[in-house]
Amino acid sequence: MARRISLKTAVNEAIDQAMQLDPTVIMLGEDIVGGAGAPGEMDAWGGVLGVTKGLYAKHGDRLLDTPLSESAYVGAAIGAACCGMRPIAELMFIDFMGVCFDQIFNQAAKFRYMFGGKAETPVVIRCMVGAGFRAAAQHSQMLTPLFTHIPGLKVVCPSTPYDTKGLLMQSIRDNDPVIFCEHKNLYALEGDVPEAPYAIPFGEANVVREGRDVTIVTYGLMVHRSLEAAATLAKEGIDVEIVDLRTLSPLDIDTVLESVTRTGRLVCVDEASPRCNIATDIAAQVAMHAFKALKAQIEQVAPPHTPVPFSPTLEDLYIPSAAQIAQAVRRTTGGK
Amino acid sequence: MSNPASGNPCVGIIANPVSARDVRRVIANASTLQLTDRVNIILRALAALRALGVRQVLMMPDKVGISSLLLRGLARERTLGNAMPDVAFLTMEITSSAEDTRCAVRLMRAAGVCSILVLGGDGTHRAVVRELYLGSTADAPRIPIAGLSTGTNNAFPEMRESTVTALAVGLHATGRIPAERALAGNKLLEIDVNGGAIRDIAIVDAAVAFDRFIGARAMWKPDNLHSLFLAFGEPTAVGLSAIGGLLQPVSPRAPGGLAIRFGDGRAGSAGAIELTVPFAPGLIRSVQIAAWTAIEAGQALPVDLPGGSMALDGERELVFAEGDAVTVTLRENAFPTVDVPGCLHFAAQHGLFRHPATSQ
Amino acid sequence: MAANNPFPLSRDALLGCYRRMRTIREFEDRLHIDFGRGDIPGFVHLYAGEEAAAVGIMSHLGDGDRIASTHRGHGHCIAKGVDVGAMMKEIYGRKGGSCEGKGGSMHIADLSKGMMGANGILGAGAPLVCGAALAAKFRGKGEIAICFVGDGASNQGTFLESLNLAAIWNLPALFVVENNGYAESTSRDYATAVNSYVDRASGFGLPGVVVDGTDFFAVHEAAGEIIRRAREGGGPSLLECKMVRFHGHFEGDAQTYRANGELEDLRANHDCLKKLAAQLTSAGVASAAELADIDRQVLALIEQAVVDAKAAPLPSAADLLTDVYVKY
Repeated sequence: MARRISLKTAVNEAIDQAMQLDPTVIMLGEDIVGGAGAPGEMDAWGGVLGVTKGLYAKHGDRLLDTPLSESAYVGAAIGAACCGMRPIAELMFIDFMGVCFDQIFNQAAKFRYMFGGKAETPVVIRCMVGAGFRAAAQHSQMLTPLFTHIPGLKVVCPSTPYDTKGLLMQSIRDNDPVIFCEHKNLYALEGDVPEAPYAIPFGEANVVREGRDVTIVTYGLMVHRSLEAAATLAKEGIDVEIVDLRTLSPLDIDTVLESVTRTGRLVCVDEASPRCNIATDIAAQVAMHAFKALKAQIEQVAPPHTPVPFSPTLEDLYIPSAAQIAQAVRRTTGGK
Repeated sequence: MSNPASGNPCVGIIANPVSARDVRRVIANASTLQLTDRVNIILRALAALRALGVRQVLMMPDKVGISSLLLRGLARERTLGNAMPDVAFLTMEITSSAEDTRCAVRLMRAAGVCSILVLGGDGTHRAVVRELYLGSTADAPRIPIAGLSTGTNNAFPEMRESTVTALAVGLHATGRIPAERALAGNKLLEIDVNGGAIRDIAIVDAAVAFDRFIGARAMWKPDNLHSLFLAFGEPTAVGLSAIGGLLQPVSPRAPGGLAIRFGDGRAGSAGAIELTVPFAPGLIRSVQIAAWTAIEAGQALPVDLPGGSMALDGERELVFAEGDAVTVTLRENAFPTVDVPGCLHFAAQHGLFRHPATSQ
Repeated sequence: MAANNPFPLSRDALLGCYRRMRTIREFEDRLHIDFGRGDIPGFVHLYAGEEAAAVGIMSHLGDGDRIASTHRGHGHCIAKGVDVGAMMKEIYGRKGGSCEGKGGSMHIADLSKGMMGANGILGAGAPLVCGAALAAKFRGKGEIAICFVGDGASNQGTFLESLNLAAIWNLPALFVVENNGYAESTSRDYATAVNSYVDRASGFGLPGVVVDGTDFFAVHEAAGEIIRRAREGGGPSLLECKMVRFHGHFEGDAQTYRANGELEDLRANHDCLKKLAAQLTSAGVASAAELADIDRQVLALIEQAVVDAKAAPLPSAADLLTDVYVKY
């Protein structure tokens, strides 16, 4: 039975059900319970934004609050994953990857290959991504391309509550390390989500809007900005198709190529910085594999190559807008 | 020899960086005196020595952190304008073993120090005394030591603030107190294997154990004990000497010692008693005593176990086999120590710390 | 225990430990020669001289106990029971190696033996071991996990963070600092502000013990106590083994940072294998002839491992692309 729940609740429900289904699922992170050792109540926070609130009451000590010590606890999650557990480590913001990156890219990502295929590291590292929270340069980044660059990691960034639950269930049952990116500005978004557990396979992009004229390839919050743009463009007679990648590694390039082959036009929309990001990767792959189908030059919509600014005025200018996306689409159609 | 009152007295300092690091930390929550604390103890002692006019100090060097931390500390004191003695590190090969202590003692003796301040446990003090006692000729001047304990498991060195110990050392070194009032004589146990093939000493206790290997050195298993010889044993002690201390105390200053034979561990052994003792810090154990007897100085007492090991001042040091003839002999007045309370009482009685008031 | 055996291990166990130590020594000495001849690609960091630590500790462990090793990991692998033939093939970059030729000397792992990998990143094993110990705690079977670091890597934040994490969760995790005096070519005294690993442990409320890492029985006895404590729920501790490195940081290191005569002295007076052999023979537990016989068997084993490694197939182009993911 589906009911409308928020994306935040979908995260909570996926972890809850995964813990019910598999006793080896544990979770580690800063304040994921909240109040450990303090005189007040346990489960005071349930994560800094309350995403994991209530799980402690159901699963107790399988949720471990950690010290502010990302290298140690992310590494511990990875070590436990090599020893029969399925840990979920919550790294509050993807920006904090810098302090524990070695454990992710030199350890977890490489064990399987480096140990000749004899290791499995079923760890999920959940983190918040994206701008718009007035959280400034060190709590607002979209660092997804850092992780897609690294062989051995899988990278997921859902845009809807339905995808969030299904992809997180898959991430937890997956036997490879997964970086699971939750856009903090989508936590309140509601949508239909089945109550029963389900998993969405990795590497399957979702065509969230079908259209004839232009293909937009994007993920995360930008899916919604692109839908807004498409609604505006529809009134102008431009019929846009939107591909939500959902998983950035593995990448469903076939769906992208098929769509571009039909529409002949491509706009890549990415909230990550404009150099070497997901958008430029898609653009390059389309140029390499479907060049002859292109009727116009490929367009990218991305933030400027700057840190994320604090002032709301500046931050709003920084984040790609529906208007910028619509304008990019118009450039590919010559204003039609 | 820089005799006391020679005008430019030199004091040696031997600080063991690795004492209080054995397996008793894990077994019984024994304390760990940190390197920074050890270096601060030395800095306080140096300040006290300098205040009494000792301008020269010879230090044992090490590669384990005391030297480098001390140099940093001395540089800081210089920058702050605080008076400190000139500290010279001995030029010697550093092996990071007890051999460093022995080598440092030899070099300090050759350099003519008037006393040696020792920071460590029973083992460190034993190593210093061993070299002073076994390594010197009968007519050589005897260099007194002053001990500072680094741990909670020591019977020989006192737990005393280093400033106070250094004041006593300084009073003696600068000739303010005559040797017969400043120094005290101490007992030790001389160990001999096969008529001088191996000679060693213990300054508190020599324990005979069944194990025939050295292993992790520390003694923490009562069942492993065969017999025990004590130069002294006080009821306030922790460790092997506490067995004697709680059975029949012998003071460090009193003549004679004690020999104890342990039971074989079976309940109801003839004549045996059970004694509850603080075997190590935080480790209260029962030991079975078969017999005990006072011992006199000068008697070579045989060890009647065909093969085993001997722990000297709490650490397994030598292994002997069947056929080895091992004896233990108590020696009295074998080496001098600076009598810290004696020195300071003398100083008080004679007004050594009083000076005419200076007018402003 | 036989009446004539004064040691806390059976004669068979003692000879087994001697054999493992000899196997490590022979393995490393052979690599030293083969690397010098140009037979082996890449970097190798040799463990020779440090065998008593690996074997003294690992003799208390089973396959369910996990260890994370360092770049100097061959000794840990052999002591933990990783197949010597597979290791040799790995170091030669061949198929059939412990990691099918994809890891090499610095990444040998065998999870079935509880060996979580040598590691090219210094200090990286410490958080992993916290995780292994956490998993052991959830399993509740009394298993433990041990992190090995050198004196140099003890300056890594990961190491210090892991001491803290292990302490607050009372993990069955042990931290072994293999102190051979050199972080690559840089001396401990220069690189470490407070030159005591026990002091670091006590800063986190963990007990720390220092042992002579060249004395098998000293390591074995102390390790036995800290491992027993961890298995029984007593939590983490630190063991510092003071030991000596017979070779350079890596093969090809001219070691001009050492003192004159230092290496000769180490080999003559601080050789843990010589010490163990002397202890076993003088106590009458084994004869010199018996030990020599083990030495010959080990020599043959290593020779065979090299022959097999050289004969083993090289990986194919198809192998380049496999095992990045379990399933992609």
